[in-house]
Amino acid sequence: MGPAPAGTQLRGAAGEPEVMEPSLEGTGKEEKKKSSKKHTMAGSPMEGLLQPVKLSRAELYKDPTSEELNHLRETESLFHSSLLRLQVEELLKEVKLSEKKKERIDAFLREINQRIMRVPSTPETELVDQSWLPVGVQVPLHQVPYTVKGCFRFLPPAQVTIVGSYLLGTCIRPDINVDVALTMPREILQDKDGLNQRYFRKRALYLAHLAHHLAQDPLFGSVRFSYTNGCHLKPSLLLRPHGKNERLVTVRLHPCPPPDFFRPCRLLPSKNNVRSAWYRGQSPPGDGSAEPPTPHYNTWVLQDTALESHVQLLSTVLGSALGLKDGVALLKVWLRQRELDKGLGGFSGFLVSMLVAFLVSTRKIHTTMSGYQVLRSVLQFLATTDLTSNGISLCLSSDPSLPALADFHRAFPVVFLDISGRLNLCADVTASTYHQVQHEARLSMVLLDSKADDGFQLLLMTPKPMIRAFDHVLHLCPLSRLQAACHRLKLWPELQDHGGDYVSAALGPLTTLLEQGLGSRLHLLAHSRPPISEWGIGQDPPKHRDSGTLTLGLLLRPEGLTSVLELGPEADQPEAADFRQFWGSRSELRRFQDGAIREAVVWEAVSMSQKRLIPYQVVTHLLALHADIPDTCIHYMGGLLDALIQGLKENSSTGEEALAAAVRCYDDLSRLLWGLEGLPLTVSAVQGAHPVLRYTEVFPPTPVRPAYSFHEHLRERASLLPRPDKPCPAYVEPMTVVCHLEGSGQWPQDADAIRRVRAAFQLRLAELLMQQHGLQCRATATHTDVLKDGFVFRIRVAYQREPQVLKETHSPEGMISLRDTPASLRLERDTRQLPLLTSALHGLQQQHPAFSGVARLAKRWVRAQLLGEGFTDESLDLVAAALFLHPEPFTPPSSPQVGFLRFLFLVSTFDWKNNPLIVNLNSELTVEEQVEIRRGFLAARTQLPVMVIITPQDRKSSIWTQDGPSPQILQQLVVLAAKALPVLEKQLMDPREPGDIRTVFRPPLDMYDVLIRLSPRHIPRHRQAVDSPAASFCRGLLSEPGPSSLMPVLGYDPPQLYVAQLREAFGDLALFFYDQHGGEVIGVLWKPTSFQPQPFKASSTKGRMMVSQGGELVMVPNVEAILEDFAILGEGLVQAVEARSERWTV
Amino acid sequence: MVARRRKRAARDSREEIPSPPGYSAIPIKFSEKQQACHYLYVREHRVREGITSSWPQKRTLFILNVPPYCTEECLSRLLSPCGPVRSVELQEKPDLAESPKEPKSKFFHPKPVPGFQVAYVVFQKPSGVSAALALKGPLLVSTESYPMKSGIQKWISDYTDSVLDPEALRAEVDSFMEAYDKRIAEEEAKAKEEDGVPDEEGWVKVTRRGRRPVLPRTEAASLRVLEREKRKRARKELLNFYAWQHRETKMEHLAQLRKKFEEDKQRIELMRAQRKFRPY
Repeated sequence: MGPAPAGTQLRGAAGEPEVMEPSLEGTGKEEKKKSSKKHTMAGSPMEGLLQPVKLSRAELYKDPTSEELNHLRETESLFHSSLLRLQVEELLKEVKLSEKKKERIDAFLREINQRIMRVPSTPETELVDQSWLPVGVQVPLHQVPYTVKGCFRFLPPAQVTIVGSYLLGTCIRPDINVDVALTMPREILQDKDGLNQRYFRKRALYLAHLAHHLAQDPLFGSVRFSYTNGCHLKPSLLLRPHGKNERLVTVRLHPCPPPDFFRPCRLLPSKNNVRSAWYRGQSPPGDGSAEPPTPHYNTWVLQDTALESHVQLLSTVLGSALGLKDGVALLKVWLRQRELDKGLGGFSGFLVSMLVAFLVSTRKIHTTMSGYQVLRSVLQFLATTDLTSNGISLCLSSDPSLPALADFHRAFPVVFLDISGRLNLCADVTASTYHQVQHEARLSMVLLDSKADDGFQLLLMTPKPMIRAFDHVLHLCPLSRLQAACHRLKLWPELQDHGGDYVSAALGPLTTLLEQGLGSRLHLLAHSRPPISEWGIGQDPPKHRDSGTLTLGLLLRPEGLTSVLELGPEADQPEAADFRQFWGSRSELRRFQDGAIREAVVWEAVSMSQKRLIPYQVVTHLLALHADIPDTCIHYMGGLLDALIQGLKENSSTGEEALAAAVRCYDDLSRLLWGLEGLPLTVSAVQGAHPVLRYTEVFPPTPVRPAYSFHEHLRERASLLPRPDKPCPAYVEPMTVVCHLEGSGQWPQDADAIRRVRAAFQLRLAELLMQQHGLQCRATATHTDVLKDGFVFRIRVAYQREPQVLKETHSPEGMISLRDTPASLRLERDTRQLPLLTSALHGLQQQHPAFSGVARLAKRWVRAQLLGEGFTDESLDLVAAALFLHPEPFTPPSSPQVGFLRFLFLVSTFDWKNNPLIVNLNSELTVEEQVEIRRGFLAARTQLPVMVIITPQDRKSSIWTQDGPSPQILQQLVVLAAKALPVLEKQLMDPREPGDIRTVFRPPLDMYDVLIRLSPRHIPRHRQAVDSPAASFCRGLLSEPGPSSLMPVLGYDPPQLYVAQLREAFGDLALFFYDQHGGEVIGVLWKPTSFQPQPFKASSTKGRMMVSQGGELVMVPNVEAILEDFAILGEGLVQAVEARSERWTV
Repeated sequence: MVARRRKRAARDSREEIPSPPGYSAIPIKFSEKQQACHYLYVREHRVREGITSSWPQKRTLFILNVPPYCTEECLSRLLSPCGPVRSVELQEKPDLAESPKEPKSKFFHPKPVPGFQVAYVVFQKPSGVSAALALKGPLLVSTESYPMKSGIQKWISDYTDSVLDPEALRAEVDSFMEAYDKRIAEEEAKAKEEDGVPDEEGWVKVTRRGRRPVLPRTEAASLRVLEREKRKRARKELLNFYAWQHRETKMEHLAQLRKKFEEDKQRIELMRAQRKFRPY
């Protein structure tokens, strides 16, 4: 009996305590794991909920042992707090390799060593003659140009050494990599092998031969090629064990030259080792200019020679210092969460280890420091030093033959020299990658200094994928266009240097170009690094263009976005030519108001949303002009979601302007109210209390001009009425304004009398506004509606002392005490807290122009999922505000898109059960107060609503979530957000088929038991639907301003009236879900508990009937009659009632 | 399942409709078109002895489960065949404690959205009640001669009703305030008369309006006084003066740290259970 338990998260007994189900996070898989593990928490009734700690007196005040004192002291000096220490320890436990696995890996490595030594040698052949290579293996290198001098033969390596993080014990899970260096015997190499990629050809052939033999060995599960750090000239061989150990470890084989084979002076950054004659097949230009230097090529050769010296350095520094190793592991996690460590030119774990070694050598880090302190020091160093202008070096010798740092700065954007003083460790790191690292380090330092309670979580546990970290993202695709770009930008020497890798050759110049063009609009430009691909040994190595797309992330500067003008130099200045050359045809001479005649570029943008997209215009213009990349190759993800908050019939604005117009009108009205003459008491304050007045109404109001013929008239009240024979008129929601009157001894001290006096004021206000300003007004006992310039405002008169009067209760002894009553709380909320919140959020919008867009998208999404009624407007606005006030680890969003993604992320990951969401409006709460609030929250958790939002004005009770959502609704929202986020991110990150961006806005309907379809004729906001209808009904609005003096129909929305009626009549039998923005369907879910047969009770007969069951008389819901009631109550509105009776039985 | 239920319903209509003990069931439908019925459960209104009820004994019919589209006029019309109806009152729940009802102002108490309600129907004669108990039904709420508004029609008429006459409101406010002012004036006059005059036992009542005003008797005021006393006492105390005080402060600090540590451990335990330490 009762509904079948076909799983929907919404089900659950209504009478359960207000604690969310334990499955708050994640998937069923995790669930299983959790239950299989034995935890102390398991089995307790309040699972997953923090309880206030209770320690007995004896335990608290027992004598401390010296060990305990030591531990406490250490915590205080080495870590921030005991919580942070515990968290760091837990994290390290999670990422570090266990001893047991280490043993298995060691055994595997020994096996590999033996097998490599047993690979047979081959006779000597010319490099160009590769016929000796067995079938089924391809050389893992693009041999362009193919002809090259030299001979090759395979001999087993002279030495096999393990290098890298595995040896140091700083490698982190998952993806354990062990780097093995194979020293090639001297006989393989000849003089001048450093020239013209000969060394790299031999290296590749060496690997190819090895790969062929190792692939036949059953020990290995997979033998594949990859590029070392993404460098296209340096393949490496990946070996993975066979069977269930396959994911245990990846061993990478790197061939390297015998020590001292290359003469270091030939590999300085200023030397050339790739001859133009060979590379381009032409002799150098006859004018005798020197060959271009090949710094990157030289570095890649040098890297191979320095593998062992690096590992030696690191093992002496990190050797016995546990804290340093922990610190390196933490830094690796930090980098990985920010996607900084992968790909060519990434800020890899190796670089960080070297940086730690550098800081140890300069005594900025001491070997006794804890992992947390190491993390902090390195971040501090990164945040405050600029390696692009002041390089650093690990080299201590003062040998005059060593090149100067300046030489390196000429060749590389970022400089960090190793111990030899000749190798730049940061050779492949681009300036933008480095700036991104610096930016992240700065943000992290701010976070660490802010003493935030969840700093650890934000710093090390929150992933920062590009799409969620940057305001706008653009994809360049296909990458083959970059080859043409390289030629256009005249980057031939760079191509020669990079061995033909046009993506990395073009990256630097392109980012510089865009950075210069975006100028003051840009905060930070970051680029994705091509991912490191793997391929089977029988396949050709992937081409440069196969790395998919190049993604650029733009972090915008909101203050720079408002300008449509790019001001250039005065026309007669010499820089004017540069400016003209840079901007091309967009640059024009303009005369400005101060009389100056200047070069300038003007972008076309009228509305806020268009201004936000000026970077798109800049990028397409510059790329087409300078790099020959047409706009069909640029996929700009920045304004795709704007369509969802665009007003009706317009697509140039996302509504910020319309909201501002409404706010201006409100300002005018408040001035009129201030200056009103003839009121018995003067107006002391006028405050807005409506979403429009804090810029968060999803669809901003437009001035109404009703057509009289479309309505009934009620002449004596100057009002229009809806007509039954016409479609429902346009929906006009009055904007609430609270008008406080000054205090006076004349106010009565009795609740009923105060209400009467207020009503008298409402009448008087209407009269005066009509007489003095000619505004159409309509007064009722609680409010006065005013029609001004097509906007309708609802003025509510308030008296400050009224909530207090409502609270007063007289005790029998005659003592007057103040007790909150429902009426007083409601009144306080509407007349005090709501205006305060509205003005605070209005202020937030002035600071962060993207707030409006984010809050509206978020609200739109929640409502489109039919969950809008569970959440108050204000609670969702506050969640959106939290994204701006507490953006860590990100920066405040500057585009609605990124803000919305973060909203989904916040909703799906926030632990509502154990944390209040503190929204520190105007930074009124101090850190200590926040700690106090958290403590109070834990103590009172069971009395608080499931979703707790704290603001400085509301520190205890979370008024905006008092009446909802219920645990089930919140749970449903969490699940939906967790599903929507990856879908949307995938769409935005995939340039080829962005697909239908509205997918995540369409609600799942299959979970509902009954669907009530509504007729669009009576849905006044039908056009606001997510999938806007092609045609809808006329709503009786004129396009031209008419002689408007009659009050339009206010707040008349049949679907809402219908849902309210359904809730009132059947609220204890079913839940009703509806999207107020043009939804055509109402979803109904039966409550399982009310389908249980119950004994007769006079108070709960609503909608039920008596049946005899097994000789007993019980009450069950009268479902058939109720389904017919659905149609009766909504006569004219309801099109069909679809009962999916297979889902439930009675 | 639904089909089976329909069969059962059909059988029920031929035989006795099950009803709770003491009640009889009357089927009720919106109109001819509907297939299924709701059931009104009716009985004679009775109260236990000693409780006075505003509804006359014997002549009042108590009805449960009145559907939301059924109004007072409609019930009166449906039950009038049983005998002349004097009054009908619809309520959200059965009322137990009795209080005389004042007619509520339509300006200050807007009509609530109706759900399923209960009704008290007072007949002219006791025979009406017994006739009603024997009703077979099904009753029809909306018929051709008496159509009932629902859906769009009803919302439009509700909207029209909600546009009220401001003049009537003004008149009501004025008459209320007049009565209120009169009452206050009377009370004040009485208080003034009693001021300083001892009652028969010799007690004098002190009021706010007396010649020498006293502290208002509110909770807040008394709390304020207590707080002030406490602060005064705290100022006199010496901190960390004696050795034992010093020792105790240190111990207190340690206890705080211990407590914090325990709390943190608990949080870590919980986070581990939620697998919060998996960075990716």
